[in-house]
Amino acid sequence: MPAAPRVSPALQALLEKGLLDRLPASFSAFCFDQMKEWELLFPAERSYFERLFALLDRTPPQEFDGTFRRLRDVEQRMGVNAKTFPKSRFSLEQVDFLNRSPFYAEWRTAVAEVFGRIDPALDAEIARAGHPRLVMVVAPAQLPADPSRMWTRIAARGRRIALDPPDDPAAYLPQLGATSIPQLYAAKHAEPYHSWVIQAGRSLAPDHPAVVHYSYEALAGYRKRLMREVQSIVEAKEVPGPRQLSDRLKQLKILASEGAAAGDPILAEFARAILLSGNGTLLINNTFVEWATMQAVRRARPTVAAIGFGIRNKVKPFSSLLIYEDQDATNPIPSQADVLGSYVDLEIFYQYIWQEFEKYAEYRTNTVYAFLADGMEEMLVIAPPDFSLPAGPLKLPAVAQRLKDWVGV
Amino acid sequence: MPRLTKRRFLQLAGLSISNRVAGQVLPAPAARPANKVILVTFGGGVRYSETFAPEGLRNIPRLVALRPRGYFFASCINSGVLSHFNSTASIVTGNWQRVDDFGFQPPAGATLFEQFRKQTGAGPLDAWTVATNKSFALMGAGSDRMLGQPYGANVVLPKQLLLEAVQDVVKKGTAGGVADRDAVLQRLEGVLSEGYEGIGWTIFQAGRKLDQHVRETLIRGLADYINGPEAPTSGDELTFFIAREIMREFAPRLLLVNFWDMDVAHWGSYSLYLNAITKTDRLTGMLWDEVEANPAYRGRTTMLVLPELGRDGDRNAANGFLNHRSGDPSCRNMWMLAMGAGVPGGATDRPVHHIDVAATAAEILGVHLPGAAGQPLRELQL
Repeated sequence: MPAAPRVSPALQALLEKGLLDRLPASFSAFCFDQMKEWELLFPAERSYFERLFALLDRTPPQEFDGTFRRLRDVEQRMGVNAKTFPKSRFSLEQVDFLNRSPFYAEWRTAVAEVFGRIDPALDAEIARAGHPRLVMVVAPAQLPADPSRMWTRIAARGRRIALDPPDDPAAYLPQLGATSIPQLYAAKHAEPYHSWVIQAGRSLAPDHPAVVHYSYEALAGYRKRLMREVQSIVEAKEVPGPRQLSDRLKQLKILASEGAAAGDPILAEFARAILLSGNGTLLINNTFVEWATMQAVRRARPTVAAIGFGIRNKVKPFSSLLIYEDQDATNPIPSQADVLGSYVDLEIFYQYIWQEFEKYAEYRTNTVYAFLADGMEEMLVIAPPDFSLPAGPLKLPAVAQRLKDWVGV
Repeated sequence: MPRLTKRRFLQLAGLSISNRVAGQVLPAPAARPANKVILVTFGGGVRYSETFAPEGLRNIPRLVALRPRGYFFASCINSGVLSHFNSTASIVTGNWQRVDDFGFQPPAGATLFEQFRKQTGAGPLDAWTVATNKSFALMGAGSDRMLGQPYGANVVLPKQLLLEAVQDVVKKGTAGGVADRDAVLQRLEGVLSEGYEGIGWTIFQAGRKLDQHVRETLIRGLADYINGPEAPTSGDELTFFIAREIMREFAPRLLLVNFWDMDVAHWGSYSLYLNAITKTDRLTGMLWDEVEANPAYRGRTTMLVLPELGRDGDRNAANGFLNHRSGDPSCRNMWMLAMGAGVPGGATDRPVHHIDVAATAAEILGVHLPGAAGQPLRELQL
């Protein structure tokens, strides 16, 4: 049997009690796989596993068995055993094994049931340590929509606030605090990975090293190298299938010349994973922003997040066949902005992003979501009852001050 | 995992034509020899919410217009593995498939194609699959050793040809890049010729003349595609032109057309996904137009249109329309539209399943599907 992963001393002590061995094989293998690169996990992820195993450790045996009974039953019927499901591995092979099982739907239900029992206790711990959080989602100025056509899928969840934009369009985002609040928060708090900026362009670029910053545009060098390398791997036909390709892609790390993330192993791996395991993140700026945001929420639980979308280009003919090629080089027709397509894309992304944050106890009841559109006379705010804004039209600095007050900067 | 030999790679990467050894099949005559079946799948996956849900109707104007002329199954369920190969393999076998998702295994058991050809004595040009994903190279015949390739469907993967041709144009640095239609067509023809012979050397043994005929037919489809009124943009348009050319030239009695562009959803652009759905709707409508215009099909063809699978719901943790892995109802609950010969107008909410498609098609073609779990759809009054 493989050794337990190298984890924190507190978690190590729990694992040495044999907790992993008491778990159903698929659950145990998943946890093992997630924890095995402990040094590349964000603090929030490490904390989750420490709290999860502490909870399991203090769960009375009868309750413990009850929590996992159904999953064990399903695993037995699926033929999960040490051979099909080695405890050290939860790779594509295991995913494939589960997917192809006639009992897959039951397995998913059983897993959901396990978390249905575990999560309330873990969430309660999180809620007790809750603090105000802020999410700013910025749409680009070029969107061809008036305020009433913005944020249509989530508008009913919040309140539209009339704004009084400045005469200088360039002052809009700075006056709203979209550029300064992440920096102020990072400057005030010592813990890393709490303040994030994820954007398509560079308009929200922070000027503070403690702000985690990913920009599709700024990562152009890394993106293009990844595309060239993937293309070369595919052309060389050295890898027989997706499973082997996945192993090769893990080696394509960001270089120092390609982005500041290279200086931090956790952030470097995050960048690689976003670009190589996300759907279309190499190709479409807004997909990059959405997927990076989803992963940041799932993994790092930022306290302050500024998320800036852009306008994507129209897809050129044959792009779907040339996904790892430079589209400008393969087709001399100049790239054109797809403003209408971008608008349609973003309307659903606003919903997905808001939903993703709200899945986690860290965000429920204490997060202000400010949906902004660069230059627009209106914003959408979804917020807890104790966050209030006066009736508008509001001057942007007044809004920014209220947002700063909310997160204490 | 099977070793990837050169032959195996070529088979996966391009186009495979079934073994055309003539005269080895002498089954009983079919009960309804004139009937033809076309299966059209919205491959890649599409949700109800973007198609036949009220808010999705605007994306599929052709199907909406055709619906009153056909029978609409409002609840067609994919209870199998929510992957592309297994979903379509379930449709063509009548049994839920749980084989390798990456095309390293053929469908388990026998396909509709093989049973049709064996039981009716239909020739090698009477059953075709026109698909996109290279993993579908093995879709034409299953693992049943009593059947298999000698009775299988021809499998044509137009997008794979396009892929090689377009990449070749890019490598050669042609001045106009992939916008140069002549250069792309030239390479398409070249790849088709090279790849076709390289892959199908068993066809060569069966007779160069037949192969030449097939090749010429496919090249006509390529030319129509490249020189069409709109700039060619994607694989599905080529899939359509190739399928139409096969219909015109060989008039197969059994044809599976698997469109794929909507899988662009994985790129994370909702607007591109919607555009692809509308394009598939248009191409499906054009296939139906061909059925009605082509004397070999008019009045004796049943067309069954259904999504291969759905995609995750907007509220699902697996990230909504981008994926199809959650197993939630949005992934599984689909629809099916049946149109054509003998199909009464109507609709039902009765749950039917993807595996019922093969059983239904078999009945229309006058053959049996021994061992199939699916049931013929009684609403079609077969």
